[in-house]
Amino acid sequence: MLGLIKRWKALEAKGIMGINRRNADYVLKYNQRHLYPVVDDKIITKQRAIEAGIHVPKLYGIISTEKEIENFDKIVAEHNDFVIKPAQGAGGDGITVVADRFEDRFKTVSGKIISKDEIEQQLSNILSGLYSLGGHRDRVLIEYRVTPDPIFKSISYEGVPDIRIIVLMGYPVMAMLRLPTRQSNGKANLHQGAIGVGVDLATGITLKGTWLNNKISKHPDTGNAVDGVQLPNWDGFMKLAAGCYELCGLGYIGVDMVLDEEKGPLILELNARPGLNIQIANDCGLTLRTHAVEARLAELQSRKVVETAEERVRFAQQTFGQSKPEL
Amino acid sequence: MRSLNLHLKVLITLLVVAGVLITGYQIFILGIPVTEDETEDLWNIDAKVEFQASPREPVKLQMFVPPLVQDYVSLHESFISNNYGVNVNRVDGNRIVTWSARRANGNQTLYYRLALTKRYSGEQPNPKGPIFRDSQIVEGAEKIAAEALLAPIRQHSADVETFISEAIKRVNNTNDDNVRLLLGGDASAENKARVVDLLLSIAHVPLERVHTIRLTSDQAQTPELWLRSFNGQNWLYFSPHTGQQGLPADRLIWWFGDSPLISLEGGRKAQVTFTLNNNEINAIRLAQRADETTDASLLEYSLYGLPLQTQQTYQIMIMIPLGVLVILILRNLGGLQTLGTFTPVLIALAFRETQLGFGIALFTVITAMGLMLRSYLEHLKLQMLPRLSVVLTFVVVLIAVISLLSHKLGLERGLSVALFPMVILTMTIERLSITWEERGGTHAFKVAIGTLIAATLAHLLMSIEELTYFVFTFPAVLLVLVGFMLAMGRYRGYRLTELFRFKAFLKD
Repeated sequence: MLGLIKRWKALEAKGIMGINRRNADYVLKYNQRHLYPVVDDKIITKQRAIEAGIHVPKLYGIISTEKEIENFDKIVAEHNDFVIKPAQGAGGDGITVVADRFEDRFKTVSGKIISKDEIEQQLSNILSGLYSLGGHRDRVLIEYRVTPDPIFKSISYEGVPDIRIIVLMGYPVMAMLRLPTRQSNGKANLHQGAIGVGVDLATGITLKGTWLNNKISKHPDTGNAVDGVQLPNWDGFMKLAAGCYELCGLGYIGVDMVLDEEKGPLILELNARPGLNIQIANDCGLTLRTHAVEARLAELQSRKVVETAEERVRFAQQTFGQSKPEL
Repeated sequence: MRSLNLHLKVLITLLVVAGVLITGYQIFILGIPVTEDETEDLWNIDAKVEFQASPREPVKLQMFVPPLVQDYVSLHESFISNNYGVNVNRVDGNRIVTWSARRANGNQTLYYRLALTKRYSGEQPNPKGPIFRDSQIVEGAEKIAAEALLAPIRQHSADVETFISEAIKRVNNTNDDNVRLLLGGDASAENKARVVDLLLSIAHVPLERVHTIRLTSDQAQTPELWLRSFNGQNWLYFSPHTGQQGLPADRLIWWFGDSPLISLEGGRKAQVTFTLNNNEINAIRLAQRADETTDASLLEYSLYGLPLQTQQTYQIMIMIPLGVLVILILRNLGGLQTLGTFTPVLIALAFRETQLGFGIALFTVITAMGLMLRSYLEHLKLQMLPRLSVVLTFVVVLIAVISLLSHKLGLERGLSVALFPMVILTMTIERLSITWEERGGTHAFKVAIGTLIAATLAHLLMSIEELTYFVFTFPAVLLVLVGFMLAMGRYRGYRLTELFRFKAFLKD
C-alpha cells in the first residue's frame, strides 16, 4: 500500500498523465462534442483537409449505398493499387489493401488473391456497419495506397509505420513513431502489439520505444535498434500536425500521419482520444508539456496575440526538444 | 475553469448538506429507526383486486377477508377504494367485504390492506361444529368405486382423524383405478377435495374447505386449499395433497366454504393479487408518528406511502444508484475494464433472480455458447440486425433448454432463469465478440472477468438488507451519493491499474 502511494507520488512528479486527467482536463475541456464527427468520419476529415490544403492520401471514390457498389469498377479503373476503408471504422478493422491486379482478380498486400465478388461482399459489409463503432450504417472510402518511405525498411516489419503527434490547441506536444510487428499483424496499433518509438520534436530523431507497456530499444522482429534514426521531412510533419487544429477545431487530438515515398507526409486520420502510451515511448510525462502550452496560451491571450502554425511549431520545438535543455 | 470548479463545489456542498439534513431530520426529529427491527411475525398483506367495470351498470364486488379467528391480531385494516361504498359483514364464520358503486367505468383497482401480528389473542372461543351429515347421493360406477375405496379406509383407521387422513392418502394414489374413475382425469386440489368430500359424506363425516394464505414475503401466491373437520372437541385440518394433519403456523385462514374468493356483478375479468411483506413495523410507526406530529407532512410523501407491491419494486430500484456507484469506483478509481458502462449493473440486477453462484455459472455458460455461435456466424458474413436476432433467439432457446433440464433434474433454481434478461446477454455476447476481434482474446477475457467482478460486487452491495432498508427509508442519502458522483466527475488522479501500467517509468 505504501509502495503504491510512493509510486503515485513518483508518477505525479514526472508529470505522467492518467486517463482521468486526460478526460477531465483535456478531452472534455478542449474537444467539443459536436465536432467529433469531423474526426470520427474519415471522409469528413479528408474533405476538410482537402479544403484546407492539407496533404492527405488522394481520394478515389466514396460508396454510400448498396446501389453505388456498381460504381466500384469505375472508381478503381485507373488504379492498380488502392485501399478500401470503412469511413467510421476503428482499430484498422475492415481495411483491405489491394496491391495489384491479377488477371480479373485483385491481389492484397499479403499476397492473397480475391475475386471481385469477395470485394463487393466486403463493400456491402462495410455499408451495413459491420466495422463501424456501434454498428451504424457506414460509408466506404477508396483511396490512394501509401507506399512507406524506404527509411523505415530497416526498423520495421511489414505494414505501414505511422507517426502520431499529440496536438494541444495547435501546439505539438509529443510525437511517436508507431511500427507494426509480427504480433500486431501489420497494424500500427499499440493495443494490438505494435511498437511506439518516441521522437524528438526538435530534430525528428527517434528515441527509445515502448512495446506492451515496457521500454525497449530494439525492434522485436528485426532486432535493429529503433533509436537514433533521423525521420525525413520532420518539419513537414510538425507543420501538418499543427495545422490540424484549424482543420477540425478540436483542441486535444492525436494526428496520425504517414510518410509516402513520393508524396511526403500525409494525414491518415485524427483521434479525439489519443492514448497515453506515447508517454512511455518518450520516457516523459504529458502533463508537464501540456501545462507549458497552457501557460503559453494564457500569456498570449493576455497580450491578445494568436500564433500561426509555424510559430506554434517553433515554440514546441524550442520548448520540448530533447536536444535542448528541458523546461 | 475556476468558476466552473466553484460552481461544482457549491453544488456538491448543497447536495451533501441537503442529504445529510433531511436524513438527520428523519432520524433525530421524527425518530425513525435507523435499522430494521427483527419482527418476523409482523405482516402486511395487500390484496389487490382488479376488474373491468361494465358501463351503465352498478358494480357490486364481494370478497372474503380473513375472519381472524386464529392466533393473529389485526393491527389495522383498510379498504382503499375511490368512490366505492364499503361494507363488511360476518356470514357463517366468514367475513365478507362488499364494495359497491352506482357507476364505474373501465379498469378498476381496489385494495384491501391488513396489518397483523401473531400474538396470542386472549381466550379462544369454544370451537363448535357439526359432527354428522347426510350422504351425498352417488349412482352407478361411481358408487361402486367409492365403496371399494371406503372399505380399506375403514379397515385402516381408528377414529375420525385417521379416517380422514387415510381417505386423503387414498385419493392421492392416482394409480388406483377407483380413484382415477372418481377424479375423472383432473388431479387438481379442488377436484381431489371434491372426491374426498364425497367419500367422507358416504361415511357421514363432515368436511369443510378452508382457504389459506401463506405468510411468506416476496412471492406471488394464490389461496391454498385445506380441508377441516370437527371431531367433537377441535377442528382438525388436513392438506388435500398429503393427508398431513395440522395447519402449519405460517398459514392464515382467509375464508371457509365452497364459494370463490370474489363474486362480481356489473363487471368482468376480476382478478386478485396478494402481496405480503413482513418488515413493515417501521412503516406502521412511521404512519403513527406522521399522524401525531402534524408538521411531519414531509413523510406523507415517503416511499412508505406507496402500495406494497410498488414498494417492493422501489426497494430494488432505489438500490440501483448504489450499484452504479460501485461500477463508477471500480472503473474510474480502480481502472477495472468492464463491458460497457452499465451492463454490470444490469447483470447484477439479473443476479437477484438467479442467486449469485448460479447466476455466474449461467452467465458464463450462456455467454460462452453464444460466443461460439457468434464466431460461427462471423463466417457467414451476416449483417448486424439479422445476426443479433439469431444470437438473441439462440439465447432464448438456450435459456429454455437450461430451465427444462434443471427442472427435470429437480433443480427449481433453473426456473428463475426465465427472468434473466436475454437482451442483456445478447448484447454482452455481441460486444464481447467485437472486443475479441478488435483487441484479442486475452483482452476480451479480461473484460468479461472484469464485468463479472463488477456485477458481483454491485449485486452483493445491492442485496445488503440493512442498506436497502436505510436507503429506502432515507432516500435523501441519494443526494449525498450524487454529490460524490459529481466530485468523481472531475477526479484527475491516477487509476489503480495505471500505477502498474506506467511502472516502466520508475525502473531507471
